[in-house]
Amino acid sequence: MLRRGRVRGRAAAIGTALAVLLVPALSSCAGDSTAATGGHTLKWASSYFPAHWDPVVGGSGAQFRELALVYASLTRVNAKGEAVPDLARSWEYNARGDQVTFHLRPGLKFSDGQPVDANAVKAAVERAQRQKNSALFGDLTSIRSVQARGLDAVVRLTQVDYQIPQLLGERVLQIASPKAAGSPAELDRNPVGAGPFTVTQLIPGTKAVLRKNPGYWDAKNIHIDTVELTSAPDASTVVSGLRTGVYNFADLDPRQAADAKRAGLDVFTQPGFNASNISLNINKAPFDDPRVVDAVRHAIDRREFVDKLTFGYGQATDQPFPEGYVAYDPKSADRYPYDPAESRRLLKRAGHRPGDIRLTLVIPAEDPAAEIVQSQLAKVGIIVTIRIDKNWATPFFAKDLTFSLYATTGRDSALQTLTAHFGPHGPLNLSSPYEPAGFEAAVAKVRATPLSSPHYAEELQAATRAGLASRALVFTYSSPNLFAKSKAVSGLPKNPAHINWTGVTVAGAN
Amino acid sequence: MRRVLSLTSGRIAVAVLAVVALLAVLGPLLAPHDPLATSTHTLAPASAGHWLGTDYLGRDVFSRLLAGSRISVLGSLEVALTALVAGTVPGILSVQLGRVFEWATLRLADTLVALPFLLFAVAVVALLGNGLTQAMLVTGVLVSPLFYRVARAATLAVARAPYVEAALIAGAGTGWIVRRHLWAKVLPPLAVALAQTVGTGFVIVSSLTFLGIGVQPPAPTWGGLLASDLGYLGHQPWAPVAPALLVMLTVWAANLLADALRDVSGEAGRTLLRGRAARARTAAVPSVTPTPDAHAGGAR
Repeated sequence: MLRRGRVRGRAAAIGTALAVLLVPALSSCAGDSTAATGGHTLKWASSYFPAHWDPVVGGSGAQFRELALVYASLTRVNAKGEAVPDLARSWEYNARGDQVTFHLRPGLKFSDGQPVDANAVKAAVERAQRQKNSALFGDLTSIRSVQARGLDAVVRLTQVDYQIPQLLGERVLQIASPKAAGSPAELDRNPVGAGPFTVTQLIPGTKAVLRKNPGYWDAKNIHIDTVELTSAPDASTVVSGLRTGVYNFADLDPRQAADAKRAGLDVFTQPGFNASNISLNINKAPFDDPRVVDAVRHAIDRREFVDKLTFGYGQATDQPFPEGYVAYDPKSADRYPYDPAESRRLLKRAGHRPGDIRLTLVIPAEDPAAEIVQSQLAKVGIIVTIRIDKNWATPFFAKDLTFSLYATTGRDSALQTLTAHFGPHGPLNLSSPYEPAGFEAAVAKVRATPLSSPHYAEELQAATRAGLASRALVFTYSSPNLFAKSKAVSGLPKNPAHINWTGVTVAGAN
Repeated sequence: MRRVLSLTSGRIAVAVLAVVALLAVLGPLLAPHDPLATSTHTLAPASAGHWLGTDYLGRDVFSRLLAGSRISVLGSLEVALTALVAGTVPGILSVQLGRVFEWATLRLADTLVALPFLLFAVAVVALLGNGLTQAMLVTGVLVSPLFYRVARAATLAVARAPYVEAALIAGAGTGWIVRRHLWAKVLPPLAVALAQTVGTGFVIVSSLTFLGIGVQPPAPTWGGLLASDLGYLGHQPWAPVAPALLVMLTVWAANLLADALRDVSGEAGRTLLRGRAARARTAAVPSVTPTPDAHAGGAR
């Protein structure tokens, strides 16, 4: 018995000694792993992990936010959505308004050591205009040429256009190193920019690891050492990932917001220009009859989209801009209110009995919004069949579809948003070359109005009003830019539609 | 069927599958609500009006489950029947039509076995458009090697039997031999494989519809309901239970039926039934057993 007691005592002593030794050692291991990734590591699960890292191929869609980690641009936007200096410290227009000169910051370099100068700007614009797989050439039609004069990039325009500083921001002109861009395919795999971070590891479609770029012009205000950008897994697992520390920042599906809040995470929305619409092709029956288009307009109950799809985080909208934004036109608000009785009357007047009109709604992937459209139109006697077409983009952008859905994240230039939706060749105008009467003239007036002019807002809203006369689009709701983060990540600047990491801190222990 | 029903497992399997078949035929008629009708009562819990609650668009989940059974049943039957035809015919013919046909079909069967049918079905849908029929037809072809091998093995066993050779010498045609001798031997293992494949078919249909492949929304399917429920686990954690249970129960019943068919088919089945009959007789004897005296008298 005595011997057994001694053995037990010895075992306890050894156990205690091991615990004393191992616990701090293991704790320090955990600390080391954080240190190994830079201490202040942002672990971002993104729903928009870039399919392409060449900004010219990536286009001006939602992925620009992730690409902006690597690439800087001439301008960026402030909290009001106005263009402010980025790589360009200032700019000025000539007297006629058909030429703008950007003055670049001196001494900047791309992460491959190439200088950030006007030649790089010229190369970026020309590549966006000419590269075969460019998704940006349609955005740069106002630019005739760029002349490089050291650190001054002189942009000559095809028309008077005061929107250029808004245009040449993060969405449309992220500037890559001209040397790296000499091989666009290589740039797609190894992005080289002059943004706040540089890519150290890239697993296509899955994960990117980025480190702070000490040569970034505003590096002193970047407090994140490392970014681990991961393609978000299924929405239902994101909250678990945030709770367990796999991520500390993530795009959030509104369905998961309640879960995230219960888990003690910070759930917040960023301002933005998201707008979903029903796209109609008025060159095809039955939408070639304006009464049918009006019937669809009155059949749509926008509130249902907000309640069922955004869990109250979104907003009903009948414009491509949020209420309060400079381009939002109060005079156009609720022009076609939800009125199913009026819708049925219009259809009857057009000679259609309930069930006469049968439409195929073609969408790229399963989308509850399509089911809502289907059920709302069924209430006025329009039978909708939903068809999922994985190759939807081809017929949509070729304007071959009759009836579809689209959701935009907007543009920094309100005019670009308008022309994309309502212009005769706008990519989001399913009814090309149709444009509403007076739209072109209204757009020209906006282009010719300096952004600082007291008449700018008035002219812009008039253009919005003219665009909204279009029979090709019925705006429905604005989905939220919803995010969740751990408490370790500080608040983000509220730049509309952008994710700006300037000033954001991540506590060392995530 | 009589033999299958003599087993408890067979009776349970047939009962469950009969209910599922009934749901497939009458499900949409039995649904208390329009399975496509949306309402403002989204993600509602179970209640007297909505036995399984409502989904994210306010649709009655119970009605959608009932309405969704038809697609799931038809899809799995499509897989099973395609596999049966595509596998059995070449399986039998591979014994009858000489070495070239035999070699070619064996290599083809080996190739098909190597292809992952779920991925292949996804690829076919991507190529031919989003439809369950084409996905199920292709899956059926990919599953067919099971029937090929079963049919071929049974045919080989019969083809070299002395009574078949005797029939051939006596001038019997191939068709007569197949009808008279072959079917009786081939059918039982095929029936087992068929029941098993119906279960596999359910899993495949549910998997594809879970991935949103093969069915256009808002058509309800068991797999589709399961998939959509997963997005709302925070609101209705219990919601996936009903469609998951239905899939599990049906697959289990199909496998149980396959087991029962295997148990009662062939010589083993006959032995089993003979044994049961004997036990039944033995059990029945005491009721007519004479008294000990009478027995003794009788012995004398």
